Amino acid sequence: MPHLIELSGIKKSYQLGLTEVVALRGVDLTVDVGEFTVVTGPSGSGKTTLLNIIGCLDRASAGKYVLDGIDVSDRDFDDLADVRNQKIGFIFQNFNLIPVLNVAENIEFPCSVRPGGEDAATLRARVEKLADEVGLKQYLHHKPDELSGGQRQRVAIARALITRPRLVLADEPTANLDSKTSDQIIDLMLQLNKLEGVTFLFSTHDPRVVKHARRALAISDGQMVDGALAH
Amino acid sequence: MALLKLALRNLRRNRRRTAITFVALVAGVGAMVAIKGFINGQRRQILENQMRGNLGALQVHKKGYVENVLGSPLTLDFADTPELRAKVAAVPGVKAVSPRIEFGAQLSTPDKKPLPEDGSELPEADRGITSFLMLTAFDPALERQVTPKRWEWLGAGRGEMLQSATAEQLVLNDDFARGVDVPMWKAGAELPPIEQRLAVLAPDRDSSLNGVNVVMIGAIASATPNDRRVGVISLGAAQQLLRMEGRVTEYGVDVDLKLDLEQVRGAVAAAVGPDYEVHTWEQRIPFVKDIVETQDFIFGIVSSILLFVVLLGVVNAMLMSVLERVREIGTMLAVGMKRRQIVSLFIAEGIVLGLVGGALGALLGWAWVSYMNSKGISIPAPGAKVPSLLRPSVDVLFVARAILQATAGAALASLWPAWRASRLRPVEALAHT
Ligand SMILES: Nc1ncnc2c1ncn2[C@@H]1O[C@H](COP(=O)(O)OP(=O)(O)OP(=O)(O)O)[C@@H](O)[C@H]1O
Ligand SMILES: [Mg+2]
Repeated sequence: MPHLIELSGIKKSYQLGLTEVVALRGVDLTVDVGEFTVVTGPSGSGKTTLLNIIGCLDRASAGKYVLDGIDVSDRDFDDLADVRNQKIGFIFQNFNLIPVLNVAENIEFPCSVRPGGEDAATLRARVEKLADEVGLKQYLHHKPDELSGGQRQRVAIARALITRPRLVLADEPTANLDSKTSDQIIDLMLQLNKLEGVTFLFSTHDPRVVKHARRALAISDGQMVDGALAH
Repeated sequence: MALLKLALRNLRRNRRRTAITFVALVAGVGAMVAIKGFINGQRRQILENQMRGNLGALQVHKKGYVENVLGSPLTLDFADTPELRAKVAAVPGVKAVSPRIEFGAQLSTPDKKPLPEDGSELPEADRGITSFLMLTAFDPALERQVTPKRWEWLGAGRGEMLQSATAEQLVLNDDFARGVDVPMWKAGAELPPIEQRLAVLAPDRDSSLNGVNVVMIGAIASATPNDRRVGVISLGAAQQLLRMEGRVTEYGVDVDLKLDLEQVRGAVAAAVGPDYEVHTWEQRIPFVKDIVETQDFIFGIVSSILLFVVLLGVVNAMLMSVLERVREIGTMLAVGMKRRQIVSLFIAEGIVLGLVGGALGALLGWAWVSYMNSKGISIPAPGAKVPSLLRPSVDVLFVARAILQATAGAALASLWPAWRASRLRPVEALAHT
């Protein structure tokens, strides 16, 4: 079975005035379908940069990236928008819900920006089912600012899953949550990983979160370091 | 998600900012409609004054009269026969016909004191004055049906109107009468002796000078531009003075204004035949066209500036809105929204703002215009001293165009902010705090 993610020789550098900041110095990495993988590393090590590239939000300066059999290294912006919309779900550290939309509308947003798409009733049924799975059945009509941090992140998780993505990326999804809520969110992600077979890849600082992962990768100074453990 | 729904909710988000932009739009478009309404009303007022107080809706002359270089030539006169009047009066839409003579004359006021018995001369200050003016001769009973405003303006002046079609009486412009110190005779009082009356001298068609003694019975307040050195005299007195018994130089014609004036003009022209020419009042007053053009020009500039300032407000509000929502835009881009969808979203916000603000402004402006139209604003027309009712009015097309301009303008004003939003790079937008 081919890998879901295949990175080879990925480099990324930023131009900061006259100096060049190298964020990734040649990363090789594969992730398979159904994995639940965590990336750890000290601050500034390149976790966000790596996830951005994997999420097709940013482009590598060099190297090759094949996602689900498609070489996305040299796609243009709108192509990448389609790839993101169809293949990837995003969970952000600060939730990034759209404040004017209620829970149901936030969850269905990635589907509603698609041209054509399924009919409203089917979509709404799926939204309700997902909301139920993340434990927000009672909150469909609430606005984000009426929810707790944990609840907001649950909305974000549902929003990431509504498009039935191949991959869900989460950059420090628990960094803004207390430890108890963090555990619940990680549990939820694990459960969805098992239930729906969705591949999860996320980064974290939190050693407690790392325990839950089935595969942990470490990055340091823009390079993957050995000691990646596989459960 | 319908973009429109999202746009509407985003507008409600920062209520204060939306309200300020909205109020500016409402005020701008409202003012535009109101000013236009006022200008239209003023235009109407000038025209009505000319038509209802000076010219009549139509004027019939002998062919070549209006173009004649001499100006009001007595040689281009015609016989005022009952048949000719009947021909004009029979045209559908014609309500009244008033025969007139326009002519230039010399008016001499009497000496203020009798001549000294010793044969010496009167001091300069006590001597009478001679001045030139244009006189219009008519039968007051007929003229009142064609130019009733003369009577209104007389009410704002002094005295009375000519008492009959043959009275040896004169009514002058009030400014002129005061300027040359013309004595007024109270109707009904005993007539002064001949030497204390006014003398009107005028060359007849053969250029020989004749005179008639008259009294001033009234003075009309100025109500139209260029009406200072003018006066009216009875038709009979003028015909006698000019040796034009039974003849006139023009017919003033009143027309039912519900009908198309140009059509009635054509019908009257056909009825009187090729020896005559017929003009509408608008054709006779080229200066009104100048006023209209000047007003349109100024209105164009003022409304452009107004719209520009209002739209700058829209640009500013939309730009603020983009800057406030950078991370949100990043999120939308991340989950797969296309750049052009982002552009559409912000333009939709602009359109809603422009459409609703423009429509409300236009509605308020239109309501003011309608209210003032029914009430009327009592104000002198430009160049006039007598107030008359100015009735503001706007046509539906202008109101619709104002709304459209506001909407299109707001859409255009959102273009740049929208474009900036769509150019955000998702990574940087998401990292924005
Ligand atoms: N837009 C940018 N311009 C310049 N340098 C950048 C930019 N983004 C990241 N970097 C640099 O790239 C390196 C990697 O940053 P990155 O954000 O990927 O680290 P991280 O592991 O996510 O850190 P943290 O744990 O603090 O989130 C850092 O040295 C950072 O300063
Ligand atoms: Mg990071």
